[in-house]
Parts: sequence; C-alpha cells; structure tokens
Amino acid sequence: MGNLLKSLGAVILTPSEPANQRVLALYSPLSKSEKSPLGADSWQFSQRDCFFSLREHLALRRNLLTFFVIAASLLLSGGASVQEALGQDTPDYFQQNCMSCHTIGGGRLTGPDLKDLSKRQDREWFVNFLMNPKAVIDSGDSYAKKILEESRNIPMPTPPGITRERAENLLDLIEAESQLEESRFRGLQISTAPFTDEDRANGRNIFRGTQRLEAGGASCISCHSMHGLGALGGGRLGPDLTNVYERLKGRAAISAWLMAPGTATMQPIFKSHPLTSEEVNSLAAYFESTTAERPATSSTGQVAFLLSGLIGAVLGVFFLDAIWNRRFHSVRRSLVKANTSRGKS
Amino acid sequence: MNIRSQVSMVFHLDKCIGCHTCSIACKNIWTDRKGADYMWWNNVETKPGTGYPTKWEDQEQYQGGWEKNGDQPIRIKSTGKARVIPNIFHNPHMPSMDDYYEPWTYDYQNLFNAEEGSDQPIAKPISMITGEDIEVESGPNWDDDLGGSQIYASNDPNLEGLSDQQRLQLSSVERLVMFYLPRICNHCLNPCCVASCPSGALYKRGEDGIVLIDQKKCRAWRSCVAACPYKKTYFNWFTGKSEKCILCFPRLETGQAPACFHSCVGRIRYLGVLLYDADRLEEVANLPDEELVEGQRSLILNPHDPEIIRKAQSAGIPDGVIESAQQSPVYKFVMEWKIALPPHIEYRTLPMLFYVPPMSPVMANFEEGLASHTMKNLFHGIDESRIPMQYFANLFGGGHEGVVRYAMGKQLAVRWHRRAETVGDVDRATADRFLREADCSLEEAEAIYKLTSLCTFEDRFVIPPMHREEAIEMIKEPGEQKAETGFGFVGGPRRGL
Repeated sequence: MGNLLKSLGAVILTPSEPANQRVLALYSPLSKSEKSPLGADSWQFSQRDCFFSLREHLALRRNLLTFFVIAASLLLSGGASVQEALGQDTPDYFQQNCMSCHTIGGGRLTGPDLKDLSKRQDREWFVNFLMNPKAVIDSGDSYAKKILEESRNIPMPTPPGITRERAENLLDLIEAESQLEESRFRGLQISTAPFTDEDRANGRNIFRGTQRLEAGGASCISCHSMHGLGALGGGRLGPDLTNVYERLKGRAAISAWLMAPGTATMQPIFKSHPLTSEEVNSLAAYFESTTAERPATSSTGQVAFLLSGLIGAVLGVFFLDAIWNRRFHSVRRSLVKANTSRGKS
Repeated sequence: MNIRSQVSMVFHLDKCIGCHTCSIACKNIWTDRKGADYMWWNNVETKPGTGYPTKWEDQEQYQGGWEKNGDQPIRIKSTGKARVIPNIFHNPHMPSMDDYYEPWTYDYQNLFNAEEGSDQPIAKPISMITGEDIEVESGPNWDDDLGGSQIYASNDPNLEGLSDQQRLQLSSVERLVMFYLPRICNHCLNPCCVASCPSGALYKRGEDGIVLIDQKKCRAWRSCVAACPYKKTYFNWFTGKSEKCILCFPRLETGQAPACFHSCVGRIRYLGVLLYDADRLEEVANLPDEELVEGQRSLILNPHDPEIIRKAQSAGIPDGVIESAQQSPVYKFVMEWKIALPPHIEYRTLPMLFYVPPMSPVMANFEEGLASHTMKNLFHGIDESRIPMQYFANLFGGGHEGVVRYAMGKQLAVRWHRRAETVGDVDRATADRFLREADCSLEEAEAIYKLTSLCTFEDRFVIPPMHREEAIEMIKEPGEQKAETGFGFVGGPRRGL
C-alpha cells in the first residue's frame, strides 16, 4: 500500500512538463519573434496570475485523470501487494497472506489448521503446492483433492509474490510454530458469548456505513449487497452477503476472513485499515441474523437502478435547462420586446 | 523602470462626421471573408446608443474587463480558475449572433432570373450564414443617427447617474443630440483578452504593443470574446478561430497608417508612439476608479527627458522609435494638453486609444421666434452642453467628471481664442479669461488649434520604424532567415479550416 501511495503521489506532485518548458510554451513562434528588441522578456508578465493559472488548472485536470486511471489499474492488478510481499519477512507475510484462511493450532477456518503440517505430506509436495496450488489440484493429486473438498471447493489462491525460497521459509515457520505450546498464529480468539441485539444493530450500521470503521476502511455496502437494503441495494463489485454466514460455515471462519480479507480486491484496502475485533464481532452477528433471509434479487435492484438513472437524467436535463435557460438569450431582442410591450399597454 | 513603446491612438470626436468610411476601409481589407462577415474591427456608433454588439458597455450582462473587490488584486470578471468549470460547455456571458446581427446579402440573381410576372422582381435578403431568406432585424449600426432611439438610445448604459429630467431632455426634439464614437481595438496595456486565453494564443507585441491572436494556437475557447469589455475580439464561425483588429500591422511595418486612419474623411485620427513604464502596470491597474485616468497618464513617460531617453536606449528601444515618440501627436493630446481621455478606464484594461470628447452643437438663442447668434452666449458654457457632463464622465472619466471637465473647458477656451483671432467679434480680454480659466497658454491654444484643424498627414501619423529585421533576429539566424521574410510566407498558408 505504501508503494501504491508513493506512486500515486508521484503522479500528482510531478508536473507534467518541466517548469521552464511550460514558460517557453507560452510564447508562440510569432510572439517569440516579437518578443523583444526591447530586451526584456516580452509581455505576458501581468497576465501570469490569471492565465497561467488557467493553464495549470487544465494541467491539473490531466493529472487527476492520470491519477484515477493508475489507481484503478493498480487496485485491479493487485500490483502493489505483489511488490510489497517481496520485501517482507516471513512472519509478516504469513500474517497478511495466510491468516484469513489458516491458523496454526487454532482449528480449521476455510483452509485446514496448519499445525504439524510436516506429518501430512513430504516437504517437496508442500513446496510445489505453495508455488502453484491450482496446478497441483488440476494435476489430479488425490491429497490436494481431499483438501479442496474439505475447504468447500474453494481452491487456495497462489500466494502473492511466492518464490521457492519464500515457500521454504514459510514451511520452516510453520514447523517452528507447531512446536510451540501456543503459536502466535493460533488465530483469532473469537468470543463465544452469544450475539446480542446491540451487536446486530452495530453490525448493520457498520455494513451500511452509517457508522464509520475505526481504522477508516470502506464500509461493506460500497461493494456488497445484502438483504433489506432497499430498492437500490448495495454495491455490485463483491458478492451478496446475505447468506455469507452459512456459506463460510460459521463464526470462526467469518471472523478470520474479516480480520484479514484474502481476495485481491479486499486485501489491499483492509491491510492498512484493519477492522477491530468489536467490529468483526458486530458484523458476524449481523451476518448471522440475515442467514435465513433471501438474498436481494439482482433483477429488482437492476430495474430500480435503471429507473432511478432515467429519472435522474430527466431531472438533470430540467435542472440544466433551468440554470442555463438564458444561455441563448439575446440582449437586443429583450430590449425590443420591452419597448414594444410598453407601447401596447 | 521597464520602458516599452506602444503605438497609441487619438480619435478627435469633435471632428467625426459619422460617415463610416473607416469601417468600410477595414471591412474591405480584412473582414470581407466567410465567417468574418459579421465582424467590424472598426465600427462607428451613434451615442447615445447601445452600440455594437448591443449594449457592449453593460458589464453586468457581458462580464467583460477586470473587476476589483475591496483590497483584493484585480481579477478577470468573466472567467477564472474555478469559474471555468461550470461554464466549460457554454459561456453564458457571450454576445449572441443577434446582438451583433446576422450578416446578410441579397439574392441579386433573382433580378435576372425571375420568371416573367406582373410585378418587378426583387432581391430578397438572404442570410450569409445559412443562405436562407431572413427578415433583417438589426445591423452593425442599426441605431445609427438615433434610429430606434426609444429602444436603443434610451438603454445606453452611459445614461447611468443622469436625472430623469436630463434623460428626457436628451431625447426632446429641441435639444436632441448625438455624436459618433468610432471604435477599434484599444490595444490595451493590461489586456483582459490576453489574460483570459487558456491556449495562450493572444499576445501583445513587444516592440509596439499591438495585441494579436495567433491563429495557429487559438482553440476556440472564446474566452477573449467574453473577457474583452469593448467586445473587440470576434469569433470566426467558419475557421473556428477568434480574430481582432491588428492595427494594420503590415501597413505600419511598411510605414503606412492603418487603413481606417488613412481613409478618415474628417481627419479625426492620430497615431503615434508612447513610451511607458511596464513595471508600474499592476500598481496602476489596481488604483481606485477616480485615480485611474491620472494613473494611466503617470505610466506614460516624457520622451524629451534625457534620463528617460537614456533608460529607453538601454532597454533596447531603437533611436528611431524614441525620435518618433518625441514627435508623437498622441503624447501632445494625452500628456501635454490632457484633452484626450481613455474610454471606460473603469474596465481597468488601460486602453491606449484616447478620445477627445466632442463639444455639443453650437446653440442658437431664440429671441422672439428668431434665431440669433449673440456674442454674449456665442459658445455656451460646458455645463449648458446638450450632453450632460455626467454622460461624458461615464464614458471617458470612469464615472468622474474632473478630467472630462478639464478637457472640455480647454477645448472651449481654444474656440473663444480662435474666434477672437479670426472673426474679431469677441474681444481679446474675454478670450484670455477663458484661456486662463482652462489652464491653457496662448501657445498651447495655438498648438491645439493647429493639430486639430490644420494637421497634415505627417502631423497626424508619426509611425515609428518597426525594425522587423531586428525582431526576427531574436529567434533565427538572419542568414538562415534570408529567404523567408519579406516576400512569401514563413509557414505556408493552410487551406480550409
């Protein structure tokens, strides 16, 4: 994320052309020729404030556009997280890339508990699997298939920026942590206290964004939809979360996911803005409460969206017409009109 | 001190007869083209009247010029950093086609090709833009000689501050009055059109201060059209570029007066060079309204002062230019006699075209139904002028009467002086009293009379040597450039848009 910010910052702060070129560009070939038998730098001095700023304003608009294009492409490619993973030490890497699905001695989440991994298969197999899980699964390996089934057919994504060395280090780490009485990667200590109505209400507010996330992350509704959000529903980038509690099989897995979301879209957002454990608990409570509901049907949402878009467009046209209705107004004609109507009355 | 030279102009309105010869000379040379057909780089307006484009002086409507709010530095009234965004697709302060007028011609072919009938064939007016029949509703001088004055003259923005009685008198039959106001680009010292251009297409030439639009750089933003308070930049709808008066620089460079000056029947136009201090421009443009006229004069430097001459030489101004600045008729009118005033200085563009305000017609006294010219009131005092002083103050004094009163008083005194000299029915003492009251010496009165009435071509137009050969040395080796200047084109002309 740091790199991401840095590269975006560079786009904003670096002028699109060096300052001296900008000044030169102000002189047309003609004005250059006319510039000065008088020696001084021709004329534009007193205009500088105004018309330079107009030019700069246009340049800024170009820069902002570049900003959004780059921001979008970086987010989509997840390029920033790959970059960063290369320079990380192994425990951090594990924390950020594995913990949303795995624990060491904390029981299974989406993926299996990794305690005493070395007793299940030989080390080479694990290295191969880490390097490219999909390839191993596709090769029809029976053990890989078994894991896949246990994980509700969610294949393990290729860890970002994985190298053979990194895979070896990870396996060493898991080995070492397995020896410990209580690993620091035992996973989240999920409260077992039953969800209260307050939790559910808080979760609902967090989901809808009426309550801000403490670390400033984006609220769920920006990308996800949900039962009971009204005609427009939520965002459509991520899946509908009405039944997510059931889909992820319970409190432990959903909490782990929320602590460190693993997808390429969510990870870069929440890595620097993690949820607190209270927020996680509230959201889990909310997701549990909606499990029985039917997901918001996308078709009604789409129709409502289309309709509101159309209505908005029509209103917009009237609005623009109202503010610009004198745009082709002729000064002369109104003088003539005022005079002739005065004559009649 | 940063000394520059500026080709400046004086129009002596007392001599203008409103013949429009200047407009026609300009039209024939420069704007007789498709897309430029509605433009009048030079036009002549009747005042009181709304002018061309209609009510161009109403800056509430057109948002031209600079505005000053309190102690803030001046800013462009029509556009700016943030204000460009909401108007990016449409600038609401632009004059519409109707405010200029839709250019038209006549279907002359019909006179020859009409089918035989019982009526004479006619040449119907057709639009030069659409080619279709149009109903001609207005033209560039539609309110000429007070035509339609109920609509036009009575809406003149300069009537602001006049009492109802004064307004009524202006249009009453016995006191009816008008004068003509020929207008070209003022080639301002602080041009708002240049400042507003987002493409940087407008520029002010270093050596003579002529404001020009680079036709290759213009991107049809039309900011200059909205920003110029005198509405002297025009958008060519055919080429998609803005155009304006170029002060006939190709003529100036060859030592000829601009076409409108050259052709002027009343010989009202004077042209000469002024030296000014560019370092103080910003300070002067920010002065309060009532100090602007004096402030602009304080920018203009005395070309006879040895100190100024030395500094001008070290600033690279050629000796020939300094010499012509010393003979400049404009310097005499504006600085020595102070009888030429800038139009609407309150727009703060510091125009370099000055007007000598016109004296109203000589009034006859009616005694028992007969008109008689008695010596007692041969020339009425300036306060009994048919045109109220406030009107001139609005037009030439930034709303303040002082400078206008001075200019009018001096002109009046010169009339008394000449009457005493030539006709002799005014005694010398009366004439001298008038001269004293007007702060005018005998020699000055004679000089004003000579440059006003007996001026030759050489007196009126003191054209500085333009030294284009030096200008080109700024960007090109003279040797390389040899084949490119003089005849032919530096960049080939492009056909079409």
